Amino acid sequence: MTSVASRSMIESNVDVEGEAGRTDSLAGLGILIRLVLRRDRIRMLLWFVGIVGLVVATAASITGVYNTPAQLEQYAQIVRGNSALIVQAGPGYGLDDPTTGAVMMNEVGIWTLIAVALMSVFMTVRHTRTEEETERAELVRAAPVGRHAQLMATMVGVTVANVLVAAGVVVSLLLYDLPAVGSIAFGLAIIGSGLVFAGVAAVGDGWLSWLTWLSPPGWGQAIRAFADERWWVLVLPLVAASALVYVAIQLQNRRDFGSGMIPQRPGRADASPWLAGPLGLAVRLQRATVIGWTVGVGLIGFFYGIVADEAESIVEDSPEMAEFFAALGESSITDAFLATAVLMLALVATGFTISSVLRLRSEELAGRADPILATPTSRRRWVLSHLAVAVGGTVIIMVVTGLATGVGFALASGDFGKVPSILGAALVMIPAMLVLGAFAMMLYGFSPRWAPFAWAGFAWAIVAGLFGTVIDIPEWALDISPFGHVPAIPASSFELLPVMLLCTIAVALTWVGLVAITRRDIQ
Amino acid sequence: MTVAISIDNLVKTFGSTLALDGLDLEVTTGEVHGFLGPNGAGKTVTIRVLLGLLRADSGDATMLGGDPWNDAVDLHRRIAYVPGDVSLWPNLSGGEVIDLLGRLRGGIDPRRRDDLIERFALDPRKKSRTYSKGNRQKVALISALASNAELLLLDEPTAGLDPLMESVFQDFILEAAGEGRTVLLSSHILAEVEKLCDRVTIIRNGRAVQHGTLDELRSVTRTSIIVATDRTVEGLDQLGGIHNVSVDDGQVQFDVDGGSLDAAIRHISSFGIHSLVSQPPTLEELFLRHYGDELEASANGASQS
Ligand SMILES: Nc1ncnc2c1ncn2[C@@H]1O[C@H](COP(=O)(O)OP(=O)(O)OP(=O)(O)O)[C@@H](O)[C@H]1O
Ligand SMILES: [Mg+2]
Repeated sequence: MTSVASRSMIESNVDVEGEAGRTDSLAGLGILIRLVLRRDRIRMLLWFVGIVGLVVATAASITGVYNTPAQLEQYAQIVRGNSALIVQAGPGYGLDDPTTGAVMMNEVGIWTLIAVALMSVFMTVRHTRTEEETERAELVRAAPVGRHAQLMATMVGVTVANVLVAAGVVVSLLLYDLPAVGSIAFGLAIIGSGLVFAGVAAVGDGWLSWLTWLSPPGWGQAIRAFADERWWVLVLPLVAASALVYVAIQLQNRRDFGSGMIPQRPGRADASPWLAGPLGLAVRLQRATVIGWTVGVGLIGFFYGIVADEAESIVEDSPEMAEFFAALGESSITDAFLATAVLMLALVATGFTISSVLRLRSEELAGRADPILATPTSRRRWVLSHLAVAVGGTVIIMVVTGLATGVGFALASGDFGKVPSILGAALVMIPAMLVLGAFAMMLYGFSPRWAPFAWAGFAWAIVAGLFGTVIDIPEWALDISPFGHVPAIPASSFELLPVMLLCTIAVALTWVGLVAITRRDIQ
Repeated sequence: MTVAISIDNLVKTFGSTLALDGLDLEVTTGEVHGFLGPNGAGKTVTIRVLLGLLRADSGDATMLGGDPWNDAVDLHRRIAYVPGDVSLWPNLSGGEVIDLLGRLRGGIDPRRRDDLIERFALDPRKKSRTYSKGNRQKVALISALASNAELLLLDEPTAGLDPLMESVFQDFILEAAGEGRTVLLSSHILAEVEKLCDRVTIIRNGRAVQHGTLDELRSVTRTSIIVATDRTVEGLDQLGGIHNVSVDDGQVQFDVDGGSLDAAIRHISSFGIHSLVSQPPTLEELFLRHYGDELEASANGASQS
């Protein structure tokens, strides 16, 4: 074994980091920027169309529905009194004296900021961490390219994307006759929050980007676009983004290429008895992801549970609101709030379901399906192993999230009786989530190239679930989203039929995908 | 003699790319068969068809008496595969990957595994993401060689191995051949092919251009000849199968195809030979000729497939 030791010593002595890298750490920046923009042009276009489209659709329906000051005031009253909406949409700046712009911000403001944040996070991770794990990254590094050039190129690329989206949003708002000052303020808020999230993602070592989910996206809102703008707030994201990029550079100076800050600990010399089949492998590959999502979504659920208790008291202060909600049916405001919260949590967690199914795709494209499929493991078995983890992980996330939301509510209200029904609300979401996962499986079955379009289904479910009632979307289009068919427990009661139907659809889509994949080439 | 792999007129297209264009290949049970050809010739595609990962458009392929596409799972109990570009799960250690693949094949002999790990000087505790290319290659090799598969499909298995490891690999292949196992070895390393292979098939543009033992291939290829004669040689160009003639008073130098050697020597002897040097083709020349473009012109006489 001495030969092994001496070999690895030789390997570790070959240290690529020289002084040369430090003298011009940004060499090659121009080319890398062009590479980032070139590789992301389609993605950027899709984000642009999605985000600007959302703003345009909202602007169109708001200017159509709320024409008179009286209608605007009516809207403001509803929002002010509904803590569920406030949790969803933010504090509702400017609704004391509502204008079209203020209503607009309340409806779509936070979602735009979140979408821009996601775009920035994905783009940053894609060009830094993900890129670093590929072999072509080493090719790039071997070229006369500075140590920080990739990071800075990514930041420039993300900035370009944010500026484009912001410009698109500002222009659309202006076209709908919204005030220029407010529109520009909102545009700047978009750029600011996009950059902060890009900075957080750049610092984050993979899992750390989870923090971005927990950090309040209220910064952008605090600018109060269309409602007495506070321009100085813009300084905050700029300072934060610069600081984060600085930290990312410092980290990059310290760590070796391709590895996190933590040095790689040696692994096992042989496999544990669990790692004996495709299922064992799939569990092992996705274990950390499942844990991450469970903790993340569970925490958000816990906070929703705590907030839910206040929903009632806010409404009680306002007799008109109480009347308004009473007219909606027997369900209490708390229940309505909880049902909305669970729906949002399920939508977020569907991100896991889909990405877990798409793990099949990345395994195939990385050439890691070949060695498995060259053993007596059928394609069906390999696929079902990953799907089992997708389903199991989804169930775990929703059980924990349901319990966390229930316990959060119980701790705040002292009412433990609601825990089972909140858990039930979370569980009943699972079939709808699996339909989207099965949709991803079906697309993947036909071709790994089509599989990412599953995210379009995800995006639609979010739009339909959260804006379905605000934007004028025809009924049939809303019905495409599987979440439109889930009984909204605890606000309404459980119904077996839609749940069974969703399960059947999920099985059918999966089956089509399985048949398709056994007939095509493995890439 | 039974046949381990038999491919007949196999065609595989990817969109408008014609990857395999009527390929024929026959591998006899128990032999080490070299599978050669320039980059993009279709070697990897052929092996992936044999693994049932790709579905051929037309033609027949039989492996160990079964159909690679329909009987994939059953056939895979009897084969082991080493890809040319091994990519592993970044956070699994090499030892874990070796065990996993072994177990997927139905079990692994721990003594054989440990022996291979030691001979290949692999540190099995390292996470795959930290392995160098050669070490990733070793992981795949060890897991394949530790199995008791009767057929080994090796796609450039030694790309990235250092010379020491290359020779360890050769020992194991000779050992496997001694045990009666069949090996299909795609390779660009000619010395390795020469040392290990009983027979070779050379493919180009998705089509087999030549097959046979190395001696057979040599005998149909050009020999370089330098002769000194009493009188200046004339009329040599008029004979078929003669190339690159250069006459330098009293001495003539040329290359001659295997089939034209007799005629050429007869012709020259009439000018009074007083010295003759002949050089058989080196392996490099042999392959370069088949990989290069001059092939079509002079393929006569070779055992064309
Ligand atoms: N999945 C695919 N899609 C499209 N074209 C492909 C695919 N796989 C292979 N090809 C094409 O098929 C041809 C044969 O490729 P193949 O990988 O078999 O070559 P090879 O002989 O293994 O070359 P090398 O010596 O470089 O490994 C190439 O032109 C390649 O571009
Ligand atoms: Mg190849």
